[in-house]
Amino acid sequence: MLKMPAESARGVPAANANADGAFVRIDGVSKHFGDVPALQDASVNIRRGEILTLLGPSGGGKTTLLNVVAGFLAPDIGSIHIDGRPVTDVPPYRREIGVLFQNYALFPHMNVASNVAYGLKMRGTPKAEIQRRLAEVLALVRLTGYQTRRPRQLSGGQQQRVALARALAISPKVLLLDEPFSALDKNLRGSMQLELKDIQRKLGVTTIFVTHDQSEALSLSDRIAVLSEGRIRQVGTPDAIYRRPADRFVAGFVGDVNVLRAELVRVEGETAFVGLGVATLAVPAEPLRGLSQGAPVDLFLRPEQLHLTARGGTSLCEGVIAAHSYQGGHVDIHIASESAVYGRILVRQTQSDAAAHWPVGAEGAIGCETQEAVAFPPEP
Amino acid sequence: MDSCGALRAIGVAIVAITLAFVLLPALVVAIAAFNARAVLAFPPDALSLRWFAKALAYDDFRVGFHNGLIVTAFASSIALVVGSAFAFALDRYSFRLKRTIESVLLAPLVIPHFTIGLGFLILAAELGAARGFAVVIACHVILVLPFVLRSVYISLRNLDQRFELAAASLGAPPRRVLTSVTIPLLAPGLVSGWLFAAILSFNEFTASLFVTSQRTQTLPVAMYNYVREYADPSMAAVSVIYIVATAALLTIANAFFGLGKVLNVENAR
Amino acid sequence: MQDKPFLRAFVSPAALCAFGLIAALAAVFQFSLRAYVPGSLEPGGLTLDNFTALAKPLYARVFLDTISISGITAICTLILGYPIACALVRAKNPLLKSAILIIVVTPLFLGEVVRTYSWIVVLGNNGFINSVLLKLGLIERPLQMMFTHFGVITALVHVTLPVMVIMLAAAISHIDPDYERAAESLGAGPIRAFLTITLPLSIPGIIAGVTTAFAWTFSAFATPQLIGGGQVNMVSNLVYQLGFASFNFPFAASLSVSGLALTFAVLALLRAATRPLEAVTAH
Repeated sequence: MLKMPAESARGVPAANANADGAFVRIDGVSKHFGDVPALQDASVNIRRGEILTLLGPSGGGKTTLLNVVAGFLAPDIGSIHIDGRPVTDVPPYRREIGVLFQNYALFPHMNVASNVAYGLKMRGTPKAEIQRRLAEVLALVRLTGYQTRRPRQLSGGQQQRVALARALAISPKVLLLDEPFSALDKNLRGSMQLELKDIQRKLGVTTIFVTHDQSEALSLSDRIAVLSEGRIRQVGTPDAIYRRPADRFVAGFVGDVNVLRAELVRVEGETAFVGLGVATLAVPAEPLRGLSQGAPVDLFLRPEQLHLTARGGTSLCEGVIAAHSYQGGHVDIHIASESAVYGRILVRQTQSDAAAHWPVGAEGAIGCETQEAVAFPPEP
Repeated sequence: MDSCGALRAIGVAIVAITLAFVLLPALVVAIAAFNARAVLAFPPDALSLRWFAKALAYDDFRVGFHNGLIVTAFASSIALVVGSAFAFALDRYSFRLKRTIESVLLAPLVIPHFTIGLGFLILAAELGAARGFAVVIACHVILVLPFVLRSVYISLRNLDQRFELAAASLGAPPRRVLTSVTIPLLAPGLVSGWLFAAILSFNEFTASLFVTSQRTQTLPVAMYNYVREYADPSMAAVSVIYIVATAALLTIANAFFGLGKVLNVENAR
Repeated sequence: MQDKPFLRAFVSPAALCAFGLIAALAAVFQFSLRAYVPGSLEPGGLTLDNFTALAKPLYARVFLDTISISGITAICTLILGYPIACALVRAKNPLLKSAILIIVVTPLFLGEVVRTYSWIVVLGNNGFINSVLLKLGLIERPLQMMFTHFGVITALVHVTLPVMVIMLAAAISHIDPDYERAAESLGAGPIRAFLTITLPLSIPGIIAGVTTAFAWTFSAFATPQLIGGGQVNMVSNLVYQLGFASFNFPFAASLSVSGLALTFAVLALLRAATRPLEAVTAH
């Protein structure tokens, strides 16, 4: 088995790695390109052995942050600690990090073995040891026997596995993944994600993963940090990010969401009650602080939290069926409604005959069972 | 980062010294041109503009300049038309002798210019043609064609062919696609290709020495003859005018087209 | 869309130009096989005398000199040009980048005569370097730099530097910066990352640059003529001298043909010698 710095962790986030549980500590990092702020006061801790995803739209600052952690960019202010040691002024070649680049950056003039052994050679590892490690990591990525191939003779998935083997061969303290799946086609992407997660768990290597794909982030991460416009908006488990988004941006960026016009009924401690139609829903009070009773609020509900019912009853609102979209496991029904802030309401029905049941043009009411929703003040 | 910083400093020093080496002759010539005395001296005892006046009044330079303009205007324009048309065909079509014609046209990059000059001189004599402008222009067209070809070819490569397909799908026949989409989008490449061809043709010397006569000699040939016969700084004055004009032209070209892109030295990302 | 609109119209003029160049080269070749008739511009009958005359040590020396001057110039230009090309590609400040580009590229468009004259002013016995050194008291008599190999090669390096930098910069700029980052993340310091990644990946540019520098130097005329001043002769000078001083065009033509053959032979050799390197870096 490979010896990883985090061998004891075995993928379980260890609470006692450091005093505050942080294996990688990113503290107040800002970075400007010219006058353009790419990153503003970003702080996040990554625990030993976990996968933390930096999720955000392009231009959000996630790649900048990754490059700062890797040492390819120096932050304007702020600091990076890895395993308790400040590394802000340490050049990338002394940081002991493994990087999986978006296009893999496999050296085209070297074969697979030379690529994978490159980092070990740079460390002056003895030849026999290099051979042993080479065999080990190639076995780990299931590419034993590919030593003498050139990168251009490999498929996209194989190239990625070589790049992963190269990054892991040096037993990095931290593994950095920069949109590693974006160059793969959709089918391959799923299996590579599983394989990567499996290897990461096996080695327990602390991992920072950058992606703009929210479903990828939800399925791969232990925790997610959502970035937009150079700021970290929220850090939390995939479930917390999905169910309890901290602001409008996070709620809209992660997963599909409906925004409905509602009004603030009352606030009780940490809980606020929001009314829409005949229903009242409990939401976290924090984002609504300062609003008075009866103020308009935007209620955020996931498509699977809604269902169509006959008119009347305890529905949130009513509308006219505008379109269907068959998705295999479920049917997405788009409903034109007065209550929708942006265009239409999306409802996810699991019955396969939903389309026949709710033909386009039919009127329907939208009901909601959930008690878990979020609401934010309306956009100015 | 210390070793890194030292390395950087050494790198910067090497680059600075090399750039100084590139600039040195131009600076020295500028000093010489403003020197009042006929004998070179550094630093000069007194400054004067007399060599500029003398150079501008010198008949051979005036005639050479005039001839150079004629040759350059024709040669660069012909090369532009021929070169861009062929670059287009090269990029889009496959045809008989494609690679052969391409390698022949690019050959002047490696064939010594004196050989090409001698060839055109002999050819003209064999055909009984006088050593007039036609021979000089023909020779210059061949010499600058590779540069036009490369410049336009690179622009074509970078041109998204879907624009043309879109125009065609909207009902434009090939001729209209060419005039309404391809040529306007290619304009920067065409202008810079023409500009390079013009500068190179105006400065061409070795082949010109063979194919020009007393009557058709271009400025570089006149300057060469002057250097062989006289040692006064008039030549320095002409050189300064030359250097300033060329640098100015290139700075303008850089501002308009981005020389880096034209020369294909921009970063991959 | 038609299959190949404008094909004929677009290719014919270029084909005509190619034909013109071939005709010119054929004329040189044809003349090289004709006898020289002293006092006449019209050559005589077919003969191989011109080529056998080339075997004389005098001419063989000029050929060897030309090859060695071209080779040394190409190597020196490569060594000087590489750091500049790197700086040009890696410079982050756009103003600095433009400045380097203009400084490097301008000499390319100045023509051989202006540049050679400039070097005469720098290297001459009353020139810049000697004046400065004399004034500083570092030397007592002017250093002889004109009419020497050193002088000729210095000026030729200056002439070929721009094209070398452009070719190297083109190659370096097309190397994905992620390769070097990957090397650094794997523990390679800046020097090792350069030696193991950037340098090998720029080999195609190095080959192209050296090849072109060699060919251009081989073709130089004004520089060896004016700075060499008869002491340093290259093939081009001999051709001109024979053509315009002795009007022995057949012999000048045979020299040209041999020069051309030599250029191509050296370039082919260079290509063959570097093929293994290029195979290594083929993407």
